[in-house]
Amino acid sequence: MILNEEQRLLRSTVADFLNREAPIEALRFLRDKEQALAWEPALWQGLCELGAPAVAQPEQAGGLGFGAMGMGALMIEAGRRLSASPLVSSAIFAQAVIRLCGNATQGDRLSPGLMSGENVATVACQEGTHFQPQPTQCRRDADQLSGRKTMVLDAGSADYLLVTARDQNGALCIGRLACDAAGVTITPHRFMDGRQYATVELIDALVDEWLQGEQIAVGFQRALDETTIMLSAEMLGGSRELLERTLAYLQEREQFDVKIGTFQALQHRIAEAYCQLELAAASVYSALSAIDADSDALSEHASRAKALTGDIYQHLSNEAVQMHGGMGVTDEMDIGLFLKRSRVCNQLWGDSAFHKDRFAALRGY
Amino acid sequence: MTERDLFRQEVREWLEAHCPVSQRQPIIREEQIWAGSRVAFSSEEAKAWFEAMRDRGWTAPTWPTEYGGGGLDTEQARVLEQEMIRLGCRPPLYDMGLWMLGPALLNFGSEAQKTTHIPRIVRGETRWAQGYSEPGAGSDLASLTTRAVDDGDHFIVSGTKIWTTRADVADWIFCLVRTDPDAPKRKGISFLLIDMHSAGITTRPIALISGESEFCQTFFDEVRVPKNNLVGALNQGWEVAKELLKHERKLMATMETITEKIDVGLVELAKSRLPMTDAGHLANTDLRTRMAEHLMQADALNDLNELIYGGMKTGQFDPAIPLTLKYIGTREQQRKDELMLEILGVDGLSMTSGKPDLDRMVRNWAYNKAHTIAGGTSEIQLNIIARRGLGLPE
Repeated sequence: MILNEEQRLLRSTVADFLNREAPIEALRFLRDKEQALAWEPALWQGLCELGAPAVAQPEQAGGLGFGAMGMGALMIEAGRRLSASPLVSSAIFAQAVIRLCGNATQGDRLSPGLMSGENVATVACQEGTHFQPQPTQCRRDADQLSGRKTMVLDAGSADYLLVTARDQNGALCIGRLACDAAGVTITPHRFMDGRQYATVELIDALVDEWLQGEQIAVGFQRALDETTIMLSAEMLGGSRELLERTLAYLQEREQFDVKIGTFQALQHRIAEAYCQLELAAASVYSALSAIDADSDALSEHASRAKALTGDIYQHLSNEAVQMHGGMGVTDEMDIGLFLKRSRVCNQLWGDSAFHKDRFAALRGY
Repeated sequence: MTERDLFRQEVREWLEAHCPVSQRQPIIREEQIWAGSRVAFSSEEAKAWFEAMRDRGWTAPTWPTEYGGGGLDTEQARVLEQEMIRLGCRPPLYDMGLWMLGPALLNFGSEAQKTTHIPRIVRGETRWAQGYSEPGAGSDLASLTTRAVDDGDHFIVSGTKIWTTRADVADWIFCLVRTDPDAPKRKGISFLLIDMHSAGITTRPIALISGESEFCQTFFDEVRVPKNNLVGALNQGWEVAKELLKHERKLMATMETITEKIDVGLVELAKSRLPMTDAGHLANTDLRTRMAEHLMQADALNDLNELIYGGMKTGQFDPAIPLTLKYIGTREQQRKDELMLEILGVDGLSMTSGKPDLDRMVRNWAYNKAHTIAGGTSEIQLNIIARRGLGLPE
């Protein structure tokens, strides 16, 4: 990853902070709580004090001006430590949706709260068991929304929702409404990665406002692509951590009186995984620069980054378990936490199969 | 305009002026310009293009001008490469000396060796072959047994080399020979330049599965080689060989730029030959997914190359990454060949149909099987990645 001086400094500051405040034990703590919590308030507060939710935005918009590359570097560090926070749901996805689907007034009014972290918002766009880019059953009727959304990140702890729906003409619209608005039922649950997701039921729920940008469908696609790329950066961080932990174990564990890392069967498997990891990494980095360059090919970049990181995260997590032997299937080892996180990430905004299909369509075949 | 922009503009104008339109078509094997005393041109325009590039030293853009090279820095060479790709210019010259020996000679050669050989390589006057592998020394290259015995101011060389590319038409060969049979394997090897016109050398072409015979077995029967043809110190040939192998691997990772470039646009090929759905998608969803996987990897490989280039400039660079390129590049080349064959169906089952484009594609499919073997097999590459790149123990 090629970063400028400031971005490198940002990366090491964030890494230090996360090592201190959000190591993997923090995720275990969150996971083992009785109630499904989305994040530790103290961690989120610390991230906000660092300015994490404003990292990507340009300075004239009140951000820190590190660009998508800076935010990507941050997400890689978060992925290495499985840090749970509303960075993806609110700071990345909700901010992008407001910026790209709202009008200027809405942006000016809503963005500062998300950038400071004072407000947390989440986007409800997934329906059913597999991601579909267009809502099929959530409907707009005048100023009301009805439908059911699944896998809504952090909704049990957020302030407001941005809900995708179809209006009477079949066009995409996005309503903003408070999480405690009448007609909204949020059922939080914990997925196996220890984090909180929610099912959101809307029955004639009155929205506070509709996002009023001029090109909502185009803007929403772009917001999704940007978010998918940022999630891919997180997945890359997780994959790198798995590779490093497994390499360390191969150099330490002895059987038949030798380090198991001397076995060629294992060397070849890990070397091959490393090749795939670097291909995925190169795809993520170029996708991040594609955001910064406002590229026309962003969707293609997003699909490639997500499919390649999805495949390698899943593969490396399986290999890591196997190469850790019996220890790999114990909860005491962190490997299992990455294994589970990889599967959850795969389902967010399209799994590898979805993105390969979309990539082919974008390439015109 | 920056200096680099000015250079780009100059290069662009020069190429526009000197590269005939016929030399901007994808290259086919029969029209490649191979160096040497038997150099042949497919047309007057091919000759003109070669000579223009040769006279600017751009057959070897980064080599020093004192030896006839282009004297460009890496940045400028990259601009030249980009502009040649943009215009579709054919490579002006093909030669193992250009790709492999030259860089090693510039590094390890004596002044006399450089002044003798480098300008002739740049000018395409000598064709070089590589004498590394032997029938008994493939992946275990260091176990080679071709002997060079000290005989005063000469070595007497006896033994045999295999996979010597077109040794039957080569002018010179660079060889690894054993000069100390009692030393540990890698310590008793020297690097020797041998004139192929010397007495005692015979060659025998090897027929390949692609129907071609690019490779030969070369036999040395008490061949006298002057001692000043020794490159590097006596018994230090392994160091030279390693340096040279790096260039070979780099080359093979970007094989497409030098092997014949029939642009097998997989997508176009599939769309023109296979059923599509109403939505304009390939009806064969399994093939469609596997094509997407290959195309993604190919794009990612380009990004990885860019990253290495950018990383070298800024010092943000994991030295393990370049070790992966040969493994990945050759794997994806073969994956593409297999996809292409699958798309062709019955039309992909002949190398002698008489339809040149088709025959070439099928021959390449077979020929490219060598890519994961030559220059260090994929398995050797994985060993290197694991041990040198990832630090796993031997």
